[in-house]
Amino acid sequence: MIWSKEETLPRGQMEQLQLGKLKESVRYIYDRVAPYRAKMDAAGVKPEDIRELSDLQKLPYTVKADFRDNYPMGMFAVAPGELVRFHASSGTTGKPTVVGYTRKDLDVWLDNVARIACMGGASKDDIAQISFGYGTFTGALGLHGGLERIGASVIPMSSGNSKKQMLFMQDIGTTLLVATPSYALHLGEEVREAGLDPEKDLKLRIGLFGGEGMTEPMRAEMQKIWGKGFFCTQNYGMSELCGPGVSGECEALTGMHVNEDWFIPEIIDPATGQVLPEGQSGELVITCLGKEALPLMRYRTGDLTKLDYAPCPCGRTTVRMANLFGRADDMLVIRGVNVFPTQIEEVLLGVPEIGPHYHITVERIEYLDMMTIAVELIDDRLLDSYGQLDELEKRIQKRMHDVLGLATKIKLVAPHSLQRFEGKAKRVTDLRKDGL
Amino acid sequence: MGETMISQVSIFVDNRPGSLWEVTQILGEEGINIRAVAAYDTPEFGILRMVVDQVASAKDVLTRRGFVVRITEVVGAELVDEKGSLGRMLEALAKGGVNVNYIYSFVIRGGKAPVMVFHTDDNEKACAILGEAKIRVVEAGEL
Ligand SMILES: [Zn+2]
Repeated sequence: MIWSKEETLPRGQMEQLQLGKLKESVRYIYDRVAPYRAKMDAAGVKPEDIRELSDLQKLPYTVKADFRDNYPMGMFAVAPGELVRFHASSGTTGKPTVVGYTRKDLDVWLDNVARIACMGGASKDDIAQISFGYGTFTGALGLHGGLERIGASVIPMSSGNSKKQMLFMQDIGTTLLVATPSYALHLGEEVREAGLDPEKDLKLRIGLFGGEGMTEPMRAEMQKIWGKGFFCTQNYGMSELCGPGVSGECEALTGMHVNEDWFIPEIIDPATGQVLPEGQSGELVITCLGKEALPLMRYRTGDLTKLDYAPCPCGRTTVRMANLFGRADDMLVIRGVNVFPTQIEEVLLGVPEIGPHYHITVERIEYLDMMTIAVELIDDRLLDSYGQLDELEKRIQKRMHDVLGLATKIKLVAPHSLQRFEGKAKRVTDLRKDGL
Repeated sequence: MGETMISQVSIFVDNRPGSLWEVTQILGEEGINIRAVAAYDTPEFGILRMVVDQVASAKDVLTRRGFVVRITEVVGAELVDEKGSLGRMLEALAKGGVNVNYIYSFVIRGGKAPVMVFHTDDNEKACAILGEAKIRVVEAGEL
């Protein structure tokens, strides 16, 4: 089911709608948010300069640091009395990022989440178990409100306590699970370990996943664990933009439909800030339309993806963003070429003679960037001759060159000799003095 | 492969201080004796090749300690103490069309003659050729 008529607007009408809202939003933020007004003034842009959609590119970017510099509410456009809700996300360092909602903001947000729930196949007959942690995090209350709006019944379970999760699933007959993909896999394993067969013993049929990306291998694993009849989609958002509800996968699984009447996406080169043509991969930038408490222009999400405007079999006409393929912060610029560790990872995964761990060292030798990738040899059959090891190095080098367009150096090391990481892996050592 | 072959253990080692020592240390702890050893290296890594008295346990313990280990068969030929002895072996193999990948020697034999270890592209043929040339091929049991 398609929740809103805006999801199927012809491109021309959508752009008209966006332009009208954009003009209003730019005027609104210029009048009310001093830090952004200062940026526009510095860039020499006035609200009246926005005459067509492409004028969006004249506007300066908003970045995460703007929230830190104007902590806690310096980016807000309304007085605290007009707010009805606060949320906060953990900042990467130090203070949290605080966001606020007016009554209208909350209404728009939950309507956008309702759309995403419908895209993922939810309906009023579903019993939805929210296994996101509640609290200031936007995920739980966002999905909670959106699912209630479509008429589903919601169990505000929160995360953890697998036994209780299973009990509710069995006794109340949960049909829909909201969780991070990794928690859904974990819970599924616990269900199996408890001797339950989800296909026979549970009614679960839908997963609405978010909070972190879901890779295709993870999706395949979901079906193994939760049963063949289980269908799961992922959705995208971040608290600065509203929370979940920015985009979500439909049943065609062709990418995440962006709720374009509220969010205009752009893709930029994270190194230069240049807007990239349709279909190219880069950093996602989002402009929020019609937000009252926290209007945001051209917010650099730091997430890497690409956009596809082709029509979708589901009937929606909204642009689709591809599954995220990493964070812009992880990007390296080697001899002017943008390199993402995920690209390197993909090449290495296709080489059976080596293990999954790697470490990248970047140095500048005589003014030339050199990237060395250390990988662990695991295949003993190559020990018969140096020639075979040499051939392996050359083969990896060639594949790297095909994918990255760069010459790299491959360094074979013994298994278990590279550092292992519990949480986020630190796989890059950049020895260049000036960073770039 | 005939019983005339000797099993050799090849180990991938990083080119960093102490990596060879680590291997000998581990084998020593397990009471495994090293009879011959050869290490060739590139600037980045090396393959350590050894003949030991307990091949299977050497592979087992080193693998458990995180090394990449391979067992391959090599040919051992007794090097008699006379002029041109090594040259005769190599000549016989070359004339027989056998390509030698690498050789190393093996001296600790309790008073017996030293042994040259050959890895060739056709070890069976190498044994036959050496035998015809009246060069004694050493069996695994004799070590
Ligand atoms: Zn679709």
